[in-house]
Amino acid sequence: MEEKKINEKESLAIIAEMIDRTKNRLRIGDGNMLLLWGYTSLAVTALTLSVLIITQHQASNWLWFLIWLIGGSVSARICRRRDCESSVRTYIDNITSGLWSLVGSCAILITAICLIMMLAGGRDCWVAMLVFGLLIVGIAVAIQGIIIKEKCLVAGGSVGIMCGAIVMCFAIGGISISIWWAFPLIAVSFISMLIVPGHILNHKARKQCLKN
Amino acid sequence: MFKELNPLLHSQLRLAVMSILMNVEEADFTYIKNATNSTAGNLSVQIDKLSSAGYIEVTKKFDGRKPKTTCRMTQEGQDAFAAYVEALKPYLKI
Repeated sequence: MEEKKINEKESLAIIAEMIDRTKNRLRIGDGNMLLLWGYTSLAVTALTLSVLIITQHQASNWLWFLIWLIGGSVSARICRRRDCESSVRTYIDNITSGLWSLVGSCAILITAICLIMMLAGGRDCWVAMLVFGLLIVGIAVAIQGIIIKEKCLVAGGSVGIMCGAIVMCFAIGGISISIWWAFPLIAVSFISMLIVPGHILNHKARKQCLKN
Repeated sequence: MFKELNPLLHSQLRLAVMSILMNVEEADFTYIKNATNSTAGNLSVQIDKLSSAGYIEVTKKFDGRKPKTTCRMTQEGQDAFAAYVEALKPYLKI
């Protein structure tokens, strides 16, 4: 493209062409963040519940913090690298980043509340964290799917919302949450909310990149 | 009634830059250069012109050791672009 005079039709063509080139497209590795949190949450849940079954000791619940430790440190590194590499920031990037910052802040707040309640002698206070992990994260995943028009995220998020709602109803109804049905429920949620959409997004991005 | 088209925007490369920035929050120099298939020298001159007119805001910073120039549209730029598109309509009988 050069610096030259144009006619009115060419003006319109340039505007249309540039809008098309800046359309939000998937980038390779877009699904990595979902995969990181999905696999970490799944592995830590399996580990924590196994230790709980074996030891029967409530202190095993401290292992849940491994999700934060691993997920938080690795995702901070991914974000930093992404910011350095990224050459364009769209309005959708802003909304998505704001959405997940909000979810992250809520998670920190709920973790702190649960911790205080546990130290004050509260029982089963970590159920709130479980409801958060499924319901709130499910809503955020579904919203992101609506924003970037990805059906797999909307569907996966909806599964998470449903599972979160089940756990919430049981907790409010005073029915104790058994590991034997809770773990499969959590596993199904994390797989459908984070792991499956993460792989789908990465696959789509790779395909799009090959096409271009 | 045909209005005169803003001469600052009625040029191939400057209009392309403005169209890109209208569609994103911010974009760096390399991204705009690739999207417009322009040369660095020419693009730099046109960005300076748009920046002098107050249509875009240019930020120069260092990303590690590499210099990074980022451009974003100002409110004045958005208004000028909207007015340009409005003025364009009668010519195209839209």
